Amino acid sequence: MAVRGRHLALWGLFMAGGLLLPLLVDTGIIGRGTLRTIIMANFLAIFAMSWDVLSGRTGYISFGHPFLIGIGAYTTAILTRRFDVAVEYSIPIAVLVTMIGGAVLFIPALRIRGSYFALVTLAFMELVYQLVQVIRPDLTGGTRGMSGIVTLTKGAVQGYYLSFTLMALLGFFLWLLMKTRLGTALSAIGMNEDSVAGSGLNTTRLKLVAFMLGAFAAGLGGAFYVHYLGSIAPRALFDINFVFTIIVAALIGGAATITGPIFGAFFLTFLLEYLRPVLPGAERYLIYGGIALLVYMYQPGGLHKILEVGLERLRKRANP
Amino acid sequence: MLQILIQGLLLSGLYALIAVGFTMIFSIGRVLNLSYGSSLMVGGYTYFYFSQTLGIPKLAGLAVAAVAGCLMGLLVFRLIVKTLEGSHVAIEISTLILAVVVQAAIVLLFGDSSKILLPIIPGVVWVSGAAVTYNILAAMLAGWAVLAGLHFYVRATHTGRAMSAVSMDLKGAAISGIEPDRINMITWGLSGALGAVAGVFFASYTQLSPSMWVAPLIISVAVVIVGGIGSIVGTLIVAHIIGFMEVIVTAWIAPELRGVFTMLLIICVLILRPQGLFGRAEL
Repeated sequence: MAVRGRHLALWGLFMAGGLLLPLLVDTGIIGRGTLRTIIMANFLAIFAMSWDVLSGRTGYISFGHPFLIGIGAYTTAILTRRFDVAVEYSIPIAVLVTMIGGAVLFIPALRIRGSYFALVTLAFMELVYQLVQVIRPDLTGGTRGMSGIVTLTKGAVQGYYLSFTLMALLGFFLWLLMKTRLGTALSAIGMNEDSVAGSGLNTTRLKLVAFMLGAFAAGLGGAFYVHYLGSIAPRALFDINFVFTIIVAALIGGAATITGPIFGAFFLTFLLEYLRPVLPGAERYLIYGGIALLVYMYQPGGLHKILEVGLERLRKRANP
Repeated sequence: MLQILIQGLLLSGLYALIAVGFTMIFSIGRVLNLSYGSSLMVGGYTYFYFSQTLGIPKLAGLAVAAVAGCLMGLLVFRLIVKTLEGSHVAIEISTLILAVVVQAAIVLLFGDSSKILLPIIPGVVWVSGAAVTYNILAAMLAGWAVLAGLHFYVRATHTGRAMSAVSMDLKGAAISGIEPDRINMITWGLSGALGAVAGVFFASYTQLSPSMWVAPLIISVAVVIVGGIGSIVGTLIVAHIIGFMEVIVTAWIAPELRGVFTMLLIICVLILRPQGLFGRAEL
């Protein structure tokens, strides 16, 4: 689990490559459309990483992740749109409020595990979805949501820089953190919580840290996402299909790895995008879901694991 | 007042019918079949195709729907649950992905727009100013009949008792000479068929649409959590608690809030009494 120079070099390469990418737009190699696709992939990667910290490691599967993302997004949207709070303040406040939401989500995790926990998170998401439309529609915009929210960036290139920097820094930070003893302990909780507690570690505190980190990432992602889109609608946000996209991105890439969810998010976003010219209609989602199901059933460890096993096999063949 | 009583009874019967298939799977394997809502959708659309497009008699259409649901249940068990045996999280996530795949398939075959299903039994009866369609009355009766039948089946027949044995203790059941695989197959097939029939009634109560699988899934989840596992009577009682709560909230507080209290109930029960109101303690 140690941090190696090789890994840091790869991260450096990834960040440098990401930051240099928009230069290719001017030369015409990639279009602005591709850049917009990457922006969506960046946000999906943030959400998937957030899910990965909370659920991928500890095994407390959250089916209601939009609950956290939605709190972050709605808080900053309401503050800026209705109370004219500057973005510099509204985003940190949104992240803090999301972390309170993470603490709320943490309460059931004290008592229940496994499938039951997954269900209660689903209930949380539905609850917020229905409340948002009814309670104070003058603030939340009710069923129709809100539009005309301040956007931080203009055009694809700026949006790309912001989303990529956010994603890469968050990813690097979480990756480093998960290389510490904390990450090891969280993975151990996913394997056998009782034996972690038996080893004298405070699992409640460890889980709380995981939930806070997950909520932090979700709130940050949600807040910047809403300031990128400039609008918010409850049906698009608190949707089981959105949950599906996040979870599948994290799992296809490889749960509990941080780099896996980034990879998975890009893989899925581009898969959907490249299928567009071939299959313009609804078939696309059928193929997309089918591929996700097959990859996941073949290797629940995701592409990360498939790659690892493949490399291992190649190495063995090279020097037996 | 009487109106609330009638509406509540009708809705609760429908909910019991919807939830029973989901409860069975959860009781037997502790597995959440998140593609259960898709069984309802497959049932609804199969019925729609055979009965309204091809024009075969309605009862035959219902039977075809049940067969389709049964087949789907068996396939899900053989291809997903059996392959991933042991890992509950993997099964839950795979069935969730499957549900989205089925949704895409339905959009592909029938289009994105929602469809109106003609009532299975047309006609309306007026009871003290409340319109009661024969259709939902049939759904309620079907719900009760199915639950009563299932209760009898589990208590009195050999296979049924084997089912409850597997649900209590898999190893103990296997030692006593029960083949868990066979029992699982029967349960999944039965659950799929019941889901499909419930789907036909549910679709004729609301409408057919490619996203119709979410609402019944959430109702089923609520019933199984609040009722607890391994209790058919619990399923019936909780279906009534939830049904009446929705009707009362709709009538007295606000129609938009009808789902909120159900969600609050789920959360409270899970936190305060995770084994459910009528379930066996085993968490």
